[in-house]
Amino acid sequence: MAEAFLVAKDLHKSFNDHKAVNGVSFTIGKNEIFGLLGPNGAGKTTTIRMLSTVLEPDVGEVTISGFSTRQQPDKVRSIIGVCPQELALYEELTALDNLTFFGRLVGLNSRETRAQSMANLALMELEQRAKGKVSKFSGGMKRRVNLAIALMGHPKLLFLDEPTVGIDPQSRNKIFETIQGLRTNGMTVLYTTHYMEEADRLCDRVAIMDGGKIVAIDTPRALKAKLGDPDKTTLEDVFLKLTGRSLRD
Amino acid sequence: MKQLRNIWLLMGKDLKIFTADRAALFFSILFPFLFVTLFNFVMTGVGSEDSRLQLNLATREPPTGISYQIIAALETVDESALKPGEPQIVWLKDYEQAKKDVEDRKLTGFIAFPENFSEAVLMGYGTELEVIYNPSNPQATAALEGMAQGIASGVGTQQVVNNTVIGLLVEKELYQPGTAGDLAQSIRAMLTGQAGNAPESSRISFTTEKVGEVEAINPANFVIPGYLVMFVFMTASFAAQQITKERLNHTLERLLSGSASRSAILGGVYASTAVKGVIQIAIFWGIGILVFKMDLGIAPAAVFIISLLMMLMASAFGVMLSTFVKTERSASSIGVLASLIMAPLGGCWWPLFITPKWMQSIAKITPHAWANTGFNKLLIFGADFNAVIPEMLALIAFAVVFGAIAILKFRTDAD
Ligand SMILES: Nc1ncnc2c1ncn2[C@@H]1O[C@H](COP(=O)(O)OP(=O)(O)OP(=O)(O)O)[C@@H](O)[C@H]1O
Ligand SMILES: [Mg+2]
Repeated sequence: MAEAFLVAKDLHKSFNDHKAVNGVSFTIGKNEIFGLLGPNGAGKTTTIRMLSTVLEPDVGEVTISGFSTRQQPDKVRSIIGVCPQELALYEELTALDNLTFFGRLVGLNSRETRAQSMANLALMELEQRAKGKVSKFSGGMKRRVNLAIALMGHPKLLFLDEPTVGIDPQSRNKIFETIQGLRTNGMTVLYTTHYMEEADRLCDRVAIMDGGKIVAIDTPRALKAKLGDPDKTTLEDVFLKLTGRSLRD
Repeated sequence: MKQLRNIWLLMGKDLKIFTADRAALFFSILFPFLFVTLFNFVMTGVGSEDSRLQLNLATREPPTGISYQIIAALETVDESALKPGEPQIVWLKDYEQAKKDVEDRKLTGFIAFPENFSEAVLMGYGTELEVIYNPSNPQATAALEGMAQGIASGVGTQQVVNNTVIGLLVEKELYQPGTAGDLAQSIRAMLTGQAGNAPESSRISFTTEKVGEVEAINPANFVIPGYLVMFVFMTASFAAQQITKERLNHTLERLLSGSASRSAILGGVYASTAVKGVIQIAIFWGIGILVFKMDLGIAPAAVFIISLLMMLMASAFGVMLSTFVKTERSASSIGVLASLIMAPLGGCWWPLFITPKWMQSIAKITPHAWANTGFNKLLIFGADFNAVIPEMLALIAFAVVFGAIAILKFRTDAD
């Protein structure tokens, strides 16, 4: 693994008496695509919210590119981009207005904002609909806007919380290609998904979480190899073996 | 510095959404405008009996409907008792005939309640008043539309009250759901019981009151400031929906992981609310001075300062409310309810100085009362700047308290 870009140490977070995250530690290397997998309620989103300075951990430390999320949240915020699990958009505004607003918010001037907005919309093949109201968009288009916003300001580290949920294969492939392209350009990515074949195809390493803890962490191939022939087993087999078959939540 | 920039950006975004939202625009800018325009139109008849405005109402409901009560309350029974300038309200019993009369130009126009009016009001869904007019008389048209809006918004707010009342009735086992006829009865009883005075008081009329030694006054001098206070406060209390909306939209999370601090987010909501308030103030005083020939007294600066302080206080109230409510629905109904209780209590609908002493004392708990008293002193009693300093300080105190509560509450919220 390349030099560590993100270091999470012993993270804990409880809501009321419920331990959502219970002692999570991992590192993400520079320019790595890191998958965070786990059943519903495993604590993936809560972990991401702590890493992205939205929530403060009860216990534990996070450093990103050497900056502590507790002591230097502003430094951290200036190098990360977040694509939340839920669509986080202003539906009353146009796609371009959304990108412009968040672009300005991360500190870009108006010229940079304009250039990046158009570039990101083009990347998501939405340039034709730039001036369309988001409320009129299809689910897949909204997902793509959601991701395009996260790219404003060229973050060094991108958090993608289930960016492909509920969309057609075309939109999903578009998002895949984009993520791979971004990595080629030097971005580091933390990716969560419930689609195991996605994680297998995209991620350099994955961590599997369950009940607020990490139960396994390695390359997809190494994890599969522990079960049997890595070319015949799937990541889904590994996932079910590790997290059991009972329903969550 | 950076957070100031963020406040600026958030404000711009809110205002952009505001201008894209036609309902919000209508309610906070156009509706007050219509309101004062109607008032102007009604007042232009002052002195000349033959120019009395006639407003016609009709309903398509059967006689058990609520609209019957509304029209009965509004109808002018004794024309000779009308004061100069007060419109004569006529009940047209035959809808089809009335419609034909408008076509034949025997009638300038009328407002009709739809067949499902009572049902719509009681069940809480929307309905539309019909405004039927002959476009040959633009002035009457404007007045009719203004009045239709007035009734419609009155019903809208009444729905909020109705829902609350139904809740109370069910809770106290006074009302068993399922008996629609009795329901209307109980609600009406409860509403009139609570309001104290009969539906007569909801009638749109503007009268001049002579109190003590005061000369006959231009009614605009208390009507305009009163409605200004009410509308600014009501619009500001809609700001309560803003943060709730960001939370439900999940954009709050995005703002926080971007670079906006919690105080910048509050600041943005505050700033955009304040800008809306300034627009309203400009419209009200603009119309007041240009159309109603209002005289701002000997201390016009004090009038503007009280307007601005009132706007700052109302915005702080809206932001404070936003940190307490969790759903958009509760945000809007609490905001409307609070505004509608405080407006009459605080002297927005009639001047406080004509109310009994005990009411004037109770009124002091509302910021409205301080603003209205300040305006009354300046515009009616000819007071100077120094005389309204207590009112200014009171408004500042309200603003500081509301603001402080908002900041404390928003800071300590985990999510
Ligand atoms: N704000 C909150 N208040 C209370 N409980 C919460 C909150 N956020 C998360 N939880 C709880 O914490 C646990 C972990 O939730 P989290 O959203 O992190 O799971 P997840 O792995 O992202 O699940 P999913 O795959 O369904 O998105 C769940 O039991 C959830 O109910
Ligand atoms: Mg999640």
